[in-house]
Amino acid sequence: MRSISLIFKKFSGSVLLLACFTVLGFTAKAQGDAAKGDAAKGEALFKSSGCTGCHKIDQRMTGPALGPVMTKETDDKFLTQWIQNNQALIAAKEPRAVSIFTQYNQAGMPAFPSLQDADVANILAYVRAEWKKEQAATPAPAAATAEASGPSNLVVFGLIGVIILAFIIILVLNRVVATLERLLSKGGVPIIEEEVSEEAIPVDRWATVKKLAKNKKLVFFILFCGTFALGSWTWFALWNTNVHTGYQPVQPIKFPHDLHAGIMKIECQYCHSGAFKSKNASIPSLNVCMNCHKTIDRTLSSKTASPEIQKIYDALGYDPQTQKYDSTKARPIQWIRIHNLPDFAYFNHSQHVKVGGLKCQTCHGPVETMKEVYQYSPLTMKWCIQCHKRTDINMKGNAYYENMIQVHDLIKRGVKVTPAQLGGIECGKCHY
Amino acid sequence: MDSNKKYWKGLEELNNTPEFVEKNKHEFAEPIPIEDVLSGDGLLGKTPRRDFLKAVGYGVGAVTLAACQRVPVHKSIPYLIKPEEITPGIANYYASTFEGHAILVKTREGRPIKIEGNPNDALARGGLSASAQASVLDLYDVSRVKAPVQDGAEKEWSDLDDYVKLELAKIKDAGKKIRIVSSTVTSPSTLAVIADFIGQFPGAKHVTYDAVSYTGIIQANQNSFGKAVLPHYHFDKADVIVSFGADFLGSWISPVEFTAQYVQNRNNKSLQGKKMSRHIQFETGMSLAGTNADVRIPLKPSEEGIALINLYNAITTGTTLLGSKKLSDNATNNAIILAAKELQKAKGKALVVAGSNDVATQVLVNAINAALGSYGTTIDLDNSSNQYAGNDAELVEFINEAKTGDVAAVLFMNANPVYDYYNAKELTAALAKVPLKVSFADHMDETAAVCNVVAPNHHYLESWGDDSAVAGYYTVLQPTINPVYNTRQAEESLLIWSNNTVPVYYTYVRNNWDKNILAQGGLSGQKGWETVLQTGFIKVADKPAGSYSFSRDLNAVAQTILAQSAQLAAPGDNKMELHLYQTVAMRDGKRANNPWLQELPDPVSKVTWDNFAAISLTDIKKLNLQEGDVITIDVNGTSIALPVLLQPGQAEGTISVAVGYGRAKGGVVIESGVGKNAFPFHSFRNGTFQTTGVAAVSATGDSIILAQTQTHHSYEGRNNIREASFTEYKKNPYKNSGKDGAHKDYKSLWEDYSDTEYKNSPYNWVMAIDLNACTGCGACVVACNAENNVPVVGRDEVRRRREMHWIRIDRYYSINEEGKSITEEREIDKLANLNNVSVVHQPMLCQHCEHAPCETVCPVLATVHSSEGLNHMAYNRCVGTRYCANNCPYKVRRFNWFNYWNDSRFENYLAEQHTQLVLNPDVTTRFRGVMEKCSMCIQRIQAGKLKAKIEKRPVKDGDIKVACQQTCPANAIVFGNGKDPNSEVSKALRSERTYYVLEELNVQPGIGYQVKVRNTTELEA
Repeated sequence: MRSISLIFKKFSGSVLLLACFTVLGFTAKAQGDAAKGDAAKGEALFKSSGCTGCHKIDQRMTGPALGPVMTKETDDKFLTQWIQNNQALIAAKEPRAVSIFTQYNQAGMPAFPSLQDADVANILAYVRAEWKKEQAATPAPAAATAEASGPSNLVVFGLIGVIILAFIIILVLNRVVATLERLLSKGGVPIIEEEVSEEAIPVDRWATVKKLAKNKKLVFFILFCGTFALGSWTWFALWNTNVHTGYQPVQPIKFPHDLHAGIMKIECQYCHSGAFKSKNASIPSLNVCMNCHKTIDRTLSSKTASPEIQKIYDALGYDPQTQKYDSTKARPIQWIRIHNLPDFAYFNHSQHVKVGGLKCQTCHGPVETMKEVYQYSPLTMKWCIQCHKRTDINMKGNAYYENMIQVHDLIKRGVKVTPAQLGGIECGKCHY
Repeated sequence: MDSNKKYWKGLEELNNTPEFVEKNKHEFAEPIPIEDVLSGDGLLGKTPRRDFLKAVGYGVGAVTLAACQRVPVHKSIPYLIKPEEITPGIANYYASTFEGHAILVKTREGRPIKIEGNPNDALARGGLSASAQASVLDLYDVSRVKAPVQDGAEKEWSDLDDYVKLELAKIKDAGKKIRIVSSTVTSPSTLAVIADFIGQFPGAKHVTYDAVSYTGIIQANQNSFGKAVLPHYHFDKADVIVSFGADFLGSWISPVEFTAQYVQNRNNKSLQGKKMSRHIQFETGMSLAGTNADVRIPLKPSEEGIALINLYNAITTGTTLLGSKKLSDNATNNAIILAAKELQKAKGKALVVAGSNDVATQVLVNAINAALGSYGTTIDLDNSSNQYAGNDAELVEFINEAKTGDVAAVLFMNANPVYDYYNAKELTAALAKVPLKVSFADHMDETAAVCNVVAPNHHYLESWGDDSAVAGYYTVLQPTINPVYNTRQAEESLLIWSNNTVPVYYTYVRNNWDKNILAQGGLSGQKGWETVLQTGFIKVADKPAGSYSFSRDLNAVAQTILAQSAQLAAPGDNKMELHLYQTVAMRDGKRANNPWLQELPDPVSKVTWDNFAAISLTDIKKLNLQEGDVITIDVNGTSIALPVLLQPGQAEGTISVAVGYGRAKGGVVIESGVGKNAFPFHSFRNGTFQTTGVAAVSATGDSIILAQTQTHHSYEGRNNIREASFTEYKKNPYKNSGKDGAHKDYKSLWEDYSDTEYKNSPYNWVMAIDLNACTGCGACVVACNAENNVPVVGRDEVRRRREMHWIRIDRYYSINEEGKSITEEREIDKLANLNNVSVVHQPMLCQHCEHAPCETVCPVLATVHSSEGLNHMAYNRCVGTRYCANNCPYKVRRFNWFNYWNDSRFENYLAEQHTQLVLNPDVTTRFRGVMEKCSMCIQRIQAGKLKAKIEKRPVKDGDIKVACQQTCPANAIVFGNGKDPNSEVSKALRSERTYYVLEELNVQPGIGYQVKVRNTTELEA
């Protein structure tokens, strides 16, 4: 039911939003026309000149949130100078420029000498218009939510109605049953007859059981079936002891692999960089997360910072407002390990990923579709050995294998060159 | 074909006493109570049905309950901000320094786990000693001082600094004396810091002394040539080496360096060039150098001086020193004359060294060496050694000053005189009069315990610094981990207390290198410094070594020597001449809290965890003692009780005791009681600490069993040592290797591996061990412990033959009498003494047999053969039947009797969470009840192959080095691919001298040994 209400909410919300935007858009356009610049041209420039790398209209990134800043600062001449060559302004010790520079961690903004005054004016127009649009839109959603909650309330009321209705039906039915019973008890005699027959029947029933119990073949068959069932259950239970396929613990951060690896198509090795060079694929350290999440603090659809991404900031002691790290507040994230290979088995990622050229998915499953990662493979020795027996060695262009007489001999004899053929299933290759 | 000389590992084996035979027949040292169970109440006793059911019920219930636990949740905690150079799972190596040797420190995830030699080290070319290998364990020692201490209470550094600075200021104003007492400082920057400190405090002076002193040599050089230095010896340039009690392969000055030099004239390459040096050793107790000598002659301490005088007379024909007299033993007299002849023949390529710390004796040795033209060739006075610079008299003077109350402050830096000064009582009384006593000790040792301030120093793996073991060789020390405890580098403390303008020691070292050292290596600036951090050292070309002539009158020197000899010659009954020495593992006792070193069997006696009194067979009979009997040794009123060890080759009438044991304070291992302190037996004579004396000996009636490993793994008399003399070798290089005639072609029971699928396997990992290069120092044992997570079991377990070392060094004695070797056991019975023993060391580890007897008896296939010629051991498959150990002809398999990693009984060793940070994460620790053995460092083989695969190239020879091979200063161990005909190991195995131990069993071992060659004939001729 909740999902239905959500869909309702979204749908009605977006309809309302759309309506608001259309109305506001017209007014904004009217206002934009009144300003000097051309907002449409400004938008194109804003996006092509690389402004978006450091700026957002409504939110601080590396640089300030442009909307409020440019609305507040009305001295277009200063803004133009700043945008065209802010370093010159800072060098000239312009007090406003210096204060911005220090306030934003002395991150030097590149100069844009290619932008003409008119271009800057266009950009300013675009930014201001956009900010107004957003400001106008912001109170609207509040109203929209109030209205949007209507349908969902309806659903809730509807539900309550249905439940009440169900109660009434149950009550009515109960009454009907009671009436019927009363009618039966008025008959009297048939009930007594039934009671008599009920006393007689148990004797018969036990007799059947006793008769059946005397049938040795049947008893044997039942016992055999029972033993077999129990035995096979024990067998499979024991085989699967300590096999945790499907293990899906709740992680301290709800990290969606489906979003990162699936939708965003980020290479696995971007984060798990050890897989290519080390035995550990390694969980990325948080500075890797911050490569992107320094600027991305929410999902595409969301208007507020994501609490999950906030956890990264908290762990690092990072304050997104000032963009500063406080190492005293840093606390490492304790992820829960999903793939637990026992200590006595040596496994090396680089051997499989770099040398063998295996895809991560071969063992870890379709991680790019997993909202929460679970253990895909059983990680048993049988599973390892099966693969070592069946997989061809990736030897193309690798002089290590190409110069091996053993390999040539196997190929000559028409034998598949698998890791097992090269000693890959010997005890000491993994257990030492 | 085979050598039929008789070799024996220990006296029990030699005498073949019934008890020993009985004991050795069994698998375990202790009888298993099987008989008790089978007879008597054991099986016949009735078990009531109810009791049985109760037990079964309880058992099943308990197991079920125990199994009903949730699978533990494992946490993975990544770095918050990962340092760029660290990849989890990949080791980083940092260049650093240990005792002047350039080393590489292997770190994993930021913690150092193994010390490896820097292959370019100018001293030993990558060879390292046992103590260097063990030093990494000290970093994780839980007994370290964890924070600064003042008057027994832990303090903050700032409080401590305030206190010390105030006190020092007061002393400065009062114009009183400050003394910095240290053992030899070889670091140029540390010396500069001390000089700066003394510059700030005019009353300060640096007192240098060494627990085991070389002042004798330094002063003798001052007397003879006007150069108060320790010379740099070159054993590689010597064709004839005569040593008088100098254990230059085990403990004398720079043993690792000397081993590397010494072996150059005795290894395979040298032999193939038909060249072998000759080594004659005159000594009291059996030392490591003595075991390797071609000729070893027992000599009492009282006769050492006389022997040297005779040698001098024989070399400088025509002169006879005043008072010269012959030695009591005729054979020794002849030996001296013959040695003199050989030395003369090798003029310019001869070297005479003496272990004595007596100035007169060393002056005489200088005269001999000068007469032989050794200066400028085998002895270098111009590029001198900095390794020992102690002046014994300075320490004595300091104590006298302290007694009068003149000294107001003393700072102990890497010095522990309360333990190693001979008169500790006097020192402690004197120290009581010093108001400010500071120790920089990292353990609460004996000296730190009497100090009111302990400012704990970093471990060297946490420190910045530098070192210069010999002139012109500068090595750099860089930290490989953040300080584990709240410690501070001693140098930094000195800088802060002296208000130096550069209070950070790193900056100080940098400045010092920028100013004084980098330029010598043709480097400069930041780039130059970074280069040094990469390479680890700067080597300045040696100055030309000048030749020195000796011109002093020796008659007075001879008189001093003779007077001393007369003092030493033991008068009366039960008086014996005492000789103090250092063991290879323990040295001066500074590392006594290291369980790896304590459990390393002494190369000669094979005793672990104790010191002992070594005496000869004649004396043990005379005193009516048995091995293990405890005797009291009394020297000038100081006495200690030690168990007796019968040492073949010990000079008659002498007793040898190792120093470095019997520490009282400084860690859990030390405080569990290891040996007795023999330092009080030192005496201060003629301006130096002397290691000889006269001891009164008396039996206490007690007896203990020494934890000795020598006879633990018996071959039951099978012949596994092969030896040839150099003359024989020159005539026939195949001599005694079993290849020079009827080499049997053994029939095999099993199908040959070469017919199976494996025939084309590209690898066959094999090893070659040159018995002629191996000196038996034991560095490989500790290196293996560190690499393969081998547990330490402690004294009691060693007594039960349960030591876990994967590689052991077997030491065999054989007897030469009247120029012929003893070949029959019954001849041995008739021997009067065991003086003329010769020794062979044989490293023994899993031989990785092609037809391994262990594999065929394993009921669960836990040990199987690999296509690469290795004998694999799957610990998790092992159920502990121990059949394999029983069936192993080499006795190299070890059984885990306990879970040594998590058992409170082994807490003092490695069963400590913090200590376990030293473990190699690539090797599993073995649980109770499983077998283990040498894996040929399979983790390194696998890593080497993987590296080649990633780099898309075949494995190169030398890519993979096993731990024992890597640390061996003698390069006695060569490992590699036997299938590659051009690999070093294949070349070594093709040597004429190669033989396989117990070849006749046809187990086809993967390790070939090269026949020991002894350069003996010339003296006998």
